[in-house]
Amino acid sequence: SADFLFKFLVIGNAGTGKSCLLHQFIENNFKDDSNHTIGVEFGSKIINVVNKFVKLQIWDTAGQERFRSVTRSYYRGAAGALLVYDITSRETYNALTNWLTDARMLASQNIVIILCGNKKDLDADREVTFLEASRFAQENELMFLETSALTGENVEEAFVQCARKILNKIESGELDPERMGSGIQYGDAALRQLRSPRRAQAESVQECSC
Amino acid sequence: MKEGLPGAFSVGDELRVRTQVGDGDTVLKLESCAGEAAGETRTMEKARSSQQQPQHRINVPSNARERISRVDPYGFERPNDFDYESYEELMSEYLAILTKRTIKWSKFLKGRSHIEKSLKVKRYVRKGIPNEHRALVWMAASGAQEQMERNSHYYSSLLQAQHDPKLEDAIRTDLHRTFPDNVQFRKTAEPCLQKPLYNVLLAYGHHNKAVGYCQGMNFIAGYLLIITKDEEKSFWLMEALLSRILPDYYTPAMLGLKTDQEVLGELVRVKVPAVWQAMVENNVMWTLVVSRWFICLFIDILPVETVLRIWDCLFYEGSKIIFRVALTLIRHNQALISQARNLPDICDCFKQITRGQFVEDCHPFMQNIFKEPGSLPMATITKLRAVCRARIIAEES
Repeated sequence: SADFLFKFLVIGNAGTGKSCLLHQFIENNFKDDSNHTIGVEFGSKIINVVNKFVKLQIWDTAGQERFRSVTRSYYRGAAGALLVYDITSRETYNALTNWLTDARMLASQNIVIILCGNKKDLDADREVTFLEASRFAQENELMFLETSALTGENVEEAFVQCARKILNKIESGELDPERMGSGIQYGDAALRQLRSPRRAQAESVQECSC
Repeated sequence: MKEGLPGAFSVGDELRVRTQVGDGDTVLKLESCAGEAAGETRTMEKARSSQQQPQHRINVPSNARERISRVDPYGFERPNDFDYESYEELMSEYLAILTKRTIKWSKFLKGRSHIEKSLKVKRYVRKGIPNEHRALVWMAASGAQEQMERNSHYYSSLLQAQHDPKLEDAIRTDLHRTFPDNVQFRKTAEPCLQKPLYNVLLAYGHHNKAVGYCQGMNFIAGYLLIITKDEEKSFWLMEALLSRILPDYYTPAMLGLKTDQEVLGELVRVKVPAVWQAMVENNVMWTLVVSRWFICLFIDILPVETVLRIWDCLFYEGSKIIFRVALTLIRHNQALISQARNLPDICDCFKQITRGQFVEDCHPFMQNIFKEPGSLPMATITKLRAVCRARIIAEES
């Protein structure tokens, strides 16, 4: 059973490897023979961060622009997000600002976002430098890693770092898991997060669904 | 030929299969899609006949896994957990149905250059179009044939025109992510369907600039290519689907999709209140569990053969069929869904209900979709669409 449950999003342009990152994180292998995502897919995994068990409930979204008007409705109440671009495609990097605006506006305001420059293994085709992206991350208060869903490099780290930062914010009091829409839930109240705010307030004690 | 096709049949056997089928050639045509399956069905015929002719048994593989090809008649690789035994059982019954349908359809189509809509045709379509006649009947029923004949050079002119590089990029991003589990879409396949897929999508994107390319269209075009084996026909069937049969699912605002998701919700509220209740209690938006059903028209959600049977009716009867299928899945599984205790559970349920015997067994499933949801007049759907659309527009503005 987990101490906390965090809702995570994986967002970014089509073809940047969002589903592959999620698959690598959960299954520890690279899957490149899947159809692309339509709408949204689910994944979950329990990780151990600073002696706490955290269950991540991860929502993997379709990347094509027009699906945003549909997937936006899933953003609400997300505690963390992986914002993914492809280091070999400047276009996917240029789109980051839009994704960021959406995430901050529609998820919780305190959402913790880690920027992931994916396809690190394709260094020869690189169109976005590490330095440039890390500056962007700094300016926008994002954490940053270059990842490879193919080799697995930095994949687990991305999820763990994001979760750790959220835990730190909880400990420092900056984030309040009790506040509705925080995207955070105590383990024994995991069900609460999955219900509407009104109901959640009405129901005090619930079993853990982890 | 793949494993499981041991070459155990003699010419005599094949002839016997042909004569069994009569003028329809079901068995052989059914398989011609991917070549592989020819052996598969023949093997199964063989397996059955060997019960009467024990002297042949010696050459027949001992279990279904060895008898049946790892690739289905359309080129899709069967998943690792595929249940060969129950599939073989199911197919032995379904082949008999197909044979009967083929004979009927062949007789009906003989000497006919035109298919008028009629109760008889509707009944025939609901009982399934044999794969050999599928392209023809889809083309006729949807009006695609007429459009193609009237605009004979249009498709090639679209391909020759100057292309929008953004459109090209978007399509290209999804080429290798369209049916990687289908041998016909592999880069190494000969011929490889990736190029025709690219062409159909590019032509369509230029033809209908308001839609351009929307993810999901690649799966639809892919299926059309598998069935018609013809780019131009696939293009015109795509045109029929997107411009006449379906609401505006694929435009950038996706208003038709959002509307139909809500329409389904309203129908469930009335027809399957227990499920509606579970959705409300767990705060699950319909889009979360059914958007793929609408966008992909059940591709990659239901078994291939079932999807094709659904499409038979879709081309003839229109988009109402999607609701019939959705309602059947939901109503048939209402006990399961209403037991779900939280959002992830509900999402799992909606995946679970698209698998298993109930959907694999496509013939009874198709009979079910006209019974299980009860009466579903088009007028109701039209009315609900208007209400839901207005609500969504109001919410978004």
